[in-house]
Amino acid sequence: METTSMNLKVTPRRVDEETQALDLEGEVDVYTAPLLRQEIMDQVDAGVKHLLVNLNQVEYLDSTGLGILIGGVKRLKEQNGSLKLVGPSARITRIFEITGLNKIFDVYTSEADAVAAAKA
Amino acid sequence: MSNENDRLNSQTDREVSSEDAAATVTLTIPCTPEYVGTARLTILGVASRMGFSYDQVEDIRLAVGEACANAIERAKILKVENPLITIRSLVEPSKLTVEVEDHTDNPSGEGIDQDKPAAEIESMNSQELGALLMEILVDEVSVEPASGGGTRVRLVKFANES
Repeated sequence: METTSMNLKVTPRRVDEETQALDLEGEVDVYTAPLLRQEIMDQVDAGVKHLLVNLNQVEYLDSTGLGILIGGVKRLKEQNGSLKLVGPSARITRIFEITGLNKIFDVYTSEADAVAAAKA
Repeated sequence: MSNENDRLNSQTDREVSSEDAAATVTLTIPCTPEYVGTARLTILGVASRMGFSYDQVEDIRLAVGEACANAIERAKILKVENPLITIRSLVEPSKLTVEVEDHTDNPSGEGIDQDKPAAEIESMNSQELGALLMEILVDEVSVEPASGGGTRVRLVKFANES
């Protein structure tokens, strides 16, 4: 079931038995980030092993959102799973690069590539 | 009709003239998460008419958003009642200066090394990331105590730098 805040919509979508996608649409900032945190925690609590966060429709991502994605990467790694980012815009890719977060995040241009990597 | 056009053209010329005195745009918002988007929209409007590139405008927008997010975090930690943020944009031909002043009472904001290894970046919290982003996205960042308590973050972006 999708969850919507004022400026962010998060739609969970099952990819396969071990993999779940979260389709994000809108802005991830200090206002909406708690919604993303809750969705990631819900997936972790439900036992999802691989989580794909689809950034294709994300127009804005600030440090609060980055912090939550980092937290998600750590949580899933602890459970021998993974959190992968799919389809960020050039703008958001640039933010990953200038902060050095591209060294932490697994970023894929397509969901198919991310799923294949999760299974590898 | 012609007179009307002349008048409009004249107004436009005056708006873009570099001989104009510096203009100031000031916005005061509640220091709460739901109003940060309003501050970002305002700064987008101000920066967009200054000849910055798309990336530069987005850099300024994100830096201002980070300064506001830091202020909100401080207000939350310090449990300040009904806190406010004032965002003051000083538009000059050569640069845009944005002062983000919160009326909380805990000055902080040390610069962060941009060449951290991955393990250190992973352990950074959002506030540290926000400070790092501000340092990278604009040309000058300074943090000082605001008069009457609180913190003033001053962000400067020069018009001709990419």
